[in-house]
Amino acid sequence: MTIQHEDTSARWFIYTSIAFFLVTILVGLTMAVKFVYPDFLGGIPALGFGRIRVIHTNGVLFGWLLAANMGLAYYVVPRLAGTKLLSEKLGLITLAIWTFIILAAVVTFASGDTQAREYLELNWWLDVLVTIAWVLFAINIFGTIAKRKHQQMYVSLWYVMGTVFWTAILWIVGNLPVYSGVNDANLNWWFGHNAVGLIFTPMGVAMAYYFIQKATGNPLYSHKLSIIGFWTIAFLYIWNGAHHIIFGPIPTWLQTVAILFSVSLLIPVWTVITNFFGTLRGKWAQGNYVVKFLLAGTVFYLLTCFQGPMHSLRSVNQIVSKTDWIVGHAHMAVFGAFSFFAIAGIYYALPNILKRPVFSDKLGEWHFWLSFVGFLGFAVSLWIGGFIQGLQWMDHTISFLDTVKAMAPYYVVRMFSGILMVGAQLIFAYNVYKTVRSSTTEVQPALA
Amino acid sequence: MKFEAKAVLLVVGVAAFMFLGTYFTMVVPLTDETLYTPTKDAKAYTELELKGKQIYQREGCWYCHTQQVRNLLEETYRYGMGEEETFKRFGVRALIQAPPSQPGEYVYDKPHLLGTRRVGPDLARVGGKYDNTWQLNHLRDPRSTSPGSIMPAYTWLFDQRGQPTQEAIALVAYLQKLGTNIKWREEGVEQVKKLQAKNLTPGEPRTLAAKEEQP
Repeated sequence: MTIQHEDTSARWFIYTSIAFFLVTILVGLTMAVKFVYPDFLGGIPALGFGRIRVIHTNGVLFGWLLAANMGLAYYVVPRLAGTKLLSEKLGLITLAIWTFIILAAVVTFASGDTQAREYLELNWWLDVLVTIAWVLFAINIFGTIAKRKHQQMYVSLWYVMGTVFWTAILWIVGNLPVYSGVNDANLNWWFGHNAVGLIFTPMGVAMAYYFIQKATGNPLYSHKLSIIGFWTIAFLYIWNGAHHIIFGPIPTWLQTVAILFSVSLLIPVWTVITNFFGTLRGKWAQGNYVVKFLLAGTVFYLLTCFQGPMHSLRSVNQIVSKTDWIVGHAHMAVFGAFSFFAIAGIYYALPNILKRPVFSDKLGEWHFWLSFVGFLGFAVSLWIGGFIQGLQWMDHTISFLDTVKAMAPYYVVRMFSGILMVGAQLIFAYNVYKTVRSSTTEVQPALA
Repeated sequence: MKFEAKAVLLVVGVAAFMFLGTYFTMVVPLTDETLYTPTKDAKAYTELELKGKQIYQREGCWYCHTQQVRNLLEETYRYGMGEEETFKRFGVRALIQAPPSQPGEYVYDKPHLLGTRRVGPDLARVGGKYDNTWQLNHLRDPRSTSPGSIMPAYTWLFDQRGQPTQEAIALVAYLQKLGTNIKWREEGVEQVKKLQAKNLTPGEPRTLAAKEEQP
């Protein structure tokens, strides 16, 4: 266990992802302000709501979350394999391409250059670059695993390997511009749902499996459960895309299949959650902010994955679909669960990479509590408002405009909660920056 | 089990599961001809309408407006024609439901713009609901036609004197085309008139399309 990991790729991927995190959630906050003041930054085409929304969604998903998870994979995989990363240079080339893609995406989206399919908006030449970057990432991950020293395949490795495969297939097939109309919508949601289910979920779960164990010092609760969770995710997720178009112009049987499989998702989720809680046992109270992020992330993962199957039920879908409720739900998955896991991973990995402690534990605590409270304000206001609006839509004598006006107070709460969420991440970035630039004498962190 | 065996199992198993789900939910629907056969009255977009669709995509209109009347009773009323509208335009007092969206209406949409979120109302049946002047005024200053609306003003689609550019005209042409792949307004009114001619009170007038569509 005396391998000297260089971690250059891991480090720089993490720094870049945090920078994109800040920028793209600021864009998110701008959108939240526009809900309250529709003329805010008006008259500028590049800052129109429809143009910055895509910068926010793609930026947060690919610029922050996926990039952060790639950085953490460069950290986790060599340690689980007991060997150095195949090539730090290849990792840095991957980062250069990735950064170029995100910057180019911001420029093209702001200029209105979009393929207009949700989460697949990138222009085709950027799609090609993403594919190339992903292949380079795959080479580095599989190459590192191939020259492993450890024979045990820890569950995080299962998930990272699975994600490399799923992402490649989803990305290539999802981007095929061959269908039109309803079939195109079906393909779009096949991708859109599985981008969450088979890219961000397995990556987030991989990181949580690794960092919960490390940060608590507890052994994995159950290896068997982790394997059951993996295979049920692999089997069940891919059938769910159509639950985004329930009551829509697609065949009823397709909707019903999606509903059945959506409800079945409770199996893998509760399996994984049981394992997380089992591994976190005894560490709830004395945990620092790293454990808090992992614990809160686990709770939000449980809740968001309880909501999901319930939303797919026709009686619930009728009310909540297309409302702001879903926006709260989506943010619970991407921010509350998977971003929290990635943040915890960064707080744990960075001191090990830099061989010095985090600049300020106090700021870490502030980061957690502001993120947590900000997110709850964001989500709960949208859940209440969205549910009421959904009920109002069911009465056609209430004009649509009146249902929009009824949302006003919830949008105000959401905006202020957004300020907390952004403020929290500013603290995060500052804390990481000071950790990186600090001249603290080198100390070997206790947990390596 | 050895590491190599596990890795092979992982790749093969994951690929097989992915193929299975994709085959049934993606490939099988491709063979369903109702999903790619245009409706009786469906027409391909004109050049102007297509340009308008591109502007609709460019400005991300579809992030806040869906284009699907869901197969729910309340939506057929909400997106249908109210009594005032039918009286003003057709001289008939009746409530005419909008038919739920059908796959055949979307055949010429590439990419599809079904949407996922309704910050503003659904637009699948908006064609013919308002006149062009209303649509242009609404795009230039949404709150002038719809007080309380939170839609942004698309001032860059208008010149300095407030006159619509070609882009605004194309966008409105596209909006007016939406929902016209089924002649539900005309057919609905015609049916009501027929009933009235026979001196029958239309109890709950429905369009032909709406009747067909109930599963």
